[in-house]
Amino acid sequence: MDTRVRQTDGASTDATRGIPFTASLTFRQAAVTLLIVAVLGLLAGMVELGADWKSMRAEIQEHTHRSLELVSGSAAEAAFQFNDELAGQVVDGLFAHREMEQVVLRDNFGGVIAERQRHDLAEPGALVQRLFGDITRYSVNLSHSVGGASASSVGALEVTLAPGEIGARFVERGLVIFVVGLAKAVIISALVVLIFFFMITRPLIGLHTAITRIDPTRPGHWPRPSFPRHEKDELGQIVTGLDNLMQAFQQGLEQRDRARDENMRLGAELDVSRRIQQILLPSRAELDAIEGLDIATHMEAAQEVGGDYYDILSHEDGVRIGIGDVTGHGLESGVVMLMTQSAVRTLLTSREKDMVRVMDVLNTTIYNNVQRMGCGKNLTLALLDYTMATAAELPAVAGHLRISGQHETVIIARHDGHMEVVDTDELGFPIGLVEEMAHFVGEISLDLHQGDVVVLYTDGITEAADEQHRLYGQDRLMEMIASHRAESAEFIKDAIINDVKRHIGNQTLYDDLTLVILKQK
Amino acid sequence: MHCFSGEGYKIELDDTSNTVRMSGALRLGGLSEYAPISELLENALDGREALIIDLSALEFLNSSGIATLSKFVITARNRNDCRLAIQGSNAIAWQGKSLNNLKRLMPALELNFD
Repeated sequence: MDTRVRQTDGASTDATRGIPFTASLTFRQAAVTLLIVAVLGLLAGMVELGADWKSMRAEIQEHTHRSLELVSGSAAEAAFQFNDELAGQVVDGLFAHREMEQVVLRDNFGGVIAERQRHDLAEPGALVQRLFGDITRYSVNLSHSVGGASASSVGALEVTLAPGEIGARFVERGLVIFVVGLAKAVIISALVVLIFFFMITRPLIGLHTAITRIDPTRPGHWPRPSFPRHEKDELGQIVTGLDNLMQAFQQGLEQRDRARDENMRLGAELDVSRRIQQILLPSRAELDAIEGLDIATHMEAAQEVGGDYYDILSHEDGVRIGIGDVTGHGLESGVVMLMTQSAVRTLLTSREKDMVRVMDVLNTTIYNNVQRMGCGKNLTLALLDYTMATAAELPAVAGHLRISGQHETVIIARHDGHMEVVDTDELGFPIGLVEEMAHFVGEISLDLHQGDVVVLYTDGITEAADEQHRLYGQDRLMEMIASHRAESAEFIKDAIINDVKRHIGNQTLYDDLTLVILKQK
Repeated sequence: MHCFSGEGYKIELDDTSNTVRMSGALRLGGLSEYAPISELLENALDGREALIIDLSALEFLNSSGIATLSKFVITARNRNDCRLAIQGSNAIAWQGKSLNNLKRLMPALELNFD
């Protein structure tokens, strides 16, 4: 996990560092804005220039006509009188304008009275010719009337404008429009970028930085950015939404961790429970040392360890065998089982032989402890006291068995094939369930003969289910016992356990399996 | 009508038919968690000549629940002022042995299986 975190961290740092300036939001926004404003400005400038062209043409034409009108009187006078001096003054007056390329005053016979022309002008370009070439020539007829007689033509005044001069003026104005337009574009772009930077880009960069700093293991503690004056807009909502998401992630992670811890705790508890169940079981050597009985046992904890109990305690008068099943699973069931084992051994050590008394003390002990635990656990418990037959009884009878306490049935396969089932329901009461149960305790005694087999089990055997939920059942158990009764206790045990396992197949073991085989030697 | 319900179980006291119906699966953790149910059962005995505990739809009852029920039956037996009947179901595995043990605690208990 550490490796993964480090990798993610590295990736996010790369992401921050990896944005080149030309790919950054601010740069791209500035470039696009500048381009758009410049193109729009250029278009507007061209429209303006077009309008300017038109007005300039009208202005030139009007101005020229007016100038000609203004001097036409004097010019007519000069043509009428052939007054060269006056003609010179008129022509000079007009020629003073820089746009004039040529000014000619003619008489009505086609002769030139006065003429001025500039020769130092450069040849105008084709564009200027196109724009202004058609408005360069003007001429006005001069007429003169003497003493109220009708006017008569005395000549003409002709001017030719220099398109180069007009073009230069036009280009100058165009240049101004272009420069102003460019300046406008730059200023507008700068303003737009600045406004966007402070309103959107800067908070976005802040958000981006915060996101790249999220620790994937602690998303809830991300450096949540705060953008003043953005609380109610889209940016504020993005931050709130992200924060909610991060908190949800954090909660999910914490739940996962809690579940993992709880699983580990349960796993550890089950390990302890499994150990408790096995730790006080009688050893093979102990069982082998017992006279009169060939004994085989099997105890297997379920996946969730249950509270199965069995014990075989050898003492100077015989053997006390206990088998029981504490309700439920897990540590508490294991503890109750452990207490039961201790109490049973204590009562044996104190040489208590009265089963009613034994059960009563056991019940009181367990009941009071279970009340302390507050868990309401109780257990089925059958105790069997085995004694070998006296020499006088042999060989007809080999041993005696007293059975007491409520548990599953006790199955007995006689050496001759006869099967007996001892129902223990009426021989006791669940231990630890109620405060007082001595009056429910009963006892059954029976004789054992050589070759008789006594089978004790917990419901994990009979209630073992196959894939179709069919239970193994007491009948099948009895069939197995009957058909293998002649074999050794170990053999019978193995045969039954293998058969139960075959029945279960691949199913999970839901309850502990406990089996005790006692065979009268 | 008094009613209790939790995850997967329901307990209701029907005053008209004098019946406490328990249904679902009861897996409360420990005796103390069964205290409210214990109280409901014992209060149901008050002022009644007969009470039916209907468990025919109670699929599962854990050991603390069985202990609670046992204590209640002993209380009813000791008070001896209200006839008690328990309705069980043959189809439900845990009830066979456990309900017979209740009958042994209180021989006057009327035990019916359907």
